[in-house]
Amino acid sequence: MSVDVSPTPQSLLVCDRSSFLDQKNRLNSQVEQLRFNYKVSLLLPECGSAPSHLDSVLNSFSSFCVIRNLPIYELLDRHFLESAVYHGSVYGLSYGTRMDEDNCVALMPNGRLSLSLDKDSYELLGLQGKPSRFNHRTRIRFVVSIDLTDSNMAPGGQGYLRLLTGLKSRLQLQTDFLLSHHPGGIPSLQPLLSRFEWSEHKPKVVHRSLTDLACPVLTSDQWSCDPHSFLEWLGAVDADISSENSSSTFLSSWVCPEPQRPVSQALSVSVCGLLLPQDLHRLTQALRGYLEQPRLESWASMTVHGFVDSVVSWGENEHRVHRGGHNFYTLLMFHNHMYHLHLASEAKDSCPP
Amino acid sequence: MKPAEKEEESVYKRVVLKNASPYQYMKICLVLEDESTRLSAVELKLFIISGLRNLYGEVGAALNFDLLKYDEDTLTAFLRVTSRGLVKLWSSLTLLGSYQNQACAFRVLQVSSFLLSLTGNSRDLQLD
Repeated sequence: MSVDVSPTPQSLLVCDRSSFLDQKNRLNSQVEQLRFNYKVSLLLPECGSAPSHLDSVLNSFSSFCVIRNLPIYELLDRHFLESAVYHGSVYGLSYGTRMDEDNCVALMPNGRLSLSLDKDSYELLGLQGKPSRFNHRTRIRFVVSIDLTDSNMAPGGQGYLRLLTGLKSRLQLQTDFLLSHHPGGIPSLQPLLSRFEWSEHKPKVVHRSLTDLACPVLTSDQWSCDPHSFLEWLGAVDADISSENSSSTFLSSWVCPEPQRPVSQALSVSVCGLLLPQDLHRLTQALRGYLEQPRLESWASMTVHGFVDSVVSWGENEHRVHRGGHNFYTLLMFHNHMYHLHLASEAKDSCPP
Repeated sequence: MKPAEKEEESVYKRVVLKNASPYQYMKICLVLEDESTRLSAVELKLFIISGLRNLYGEVGAALNFDLLKYDEDTLTAFLRVTSRGLVKLWSSLTLLGSYQNQACAFRVLQVSSFLLSLTGNSRDLQLD
């Protein structure tokens, strides 16, 4: 008897093609919805070193901090709420916790505190939440989402005190926490930081020069290269995988998608850390400026990876880690202001915007 | 696998591809009892093929997969397999328990429909 062991694994890829000049283009609103970004990588063909204006943007990404063993109820501190949450945008995410194993917490720029909890923790907390969309048969995971800017959640209010008691006396949730603030930066977070062990981190920039790269021919007016093949090629360049194979090579038969052309040199730059959408927006603008100069190759690509263990993926949609937990987008920009945007997530996650 | 298309105007186009990824990518690490043992890329691929043969016979051994990248020092590799072959490859990796009479295990570190995901895993973020 044979058993079918070949179900198709699930993935979701949304491909948009539009122009920066189109007033109805939704690029900014789309990319801003991926709030917790871990890594951005650029690929600039026919470029030896990054021009100064691009370099300055890459080196001026906002710093973020890590607070060790932060009791989550401290996020409800009146001074912290007044200096950071009510003014500007706070990006906070539990660090070192895994969505498929641990309790995870996110503080979103719109002032919403989102907790993804296992059943025992949820019952201890004693606040109303929703069963996770991804529960299978038994309810083992719950999501509690609270708007800290709501009038009911003002310090001293009824809702505020219930949440504070739940987090302080009953659940006592404590975790390492990544935190950043726009536009105030670290100084806006001082009311909270001054009471804990914390360290400041600058996103880490890595430059890599590539030579003699086989590159698919990309045109702005159509998807000249199949989106999956293009993303595979981009991944191979990022992972430094050789494409000098043929169909008969024993180890690997992967080759650059056709039609292709050789590129004598290329620059790959990556930035890692807790990256804010505002910084990524500045980077997009800088890349547009870069493409306006006459060049041998007329495109540049930018890939942004979200945090795998973020409570939310796109917008406020619940995220999960089933197999990979990936959520990323690739923006392929052309000199004629056209762009191709590829947004990817796990299939059971909500469709990217 | 139905691409849903909608076109608002000539310049704007949106295509949604669901479950259309032709390949799956795995990041794996081989853990050996004797940590000084070293394998070349060819030996690793032959070892994985032997696992496929043991579990699924000659038909399993004929499954096409690619060893995209291999680091001999950490015994970590990137594999590419057709979406329909993922379960076969994964299960045979799980059941491979001995290499040249020493206990071993494959750790599957990450699996994704996109090779790009394997280079941007936030679980690798180390902050001192």
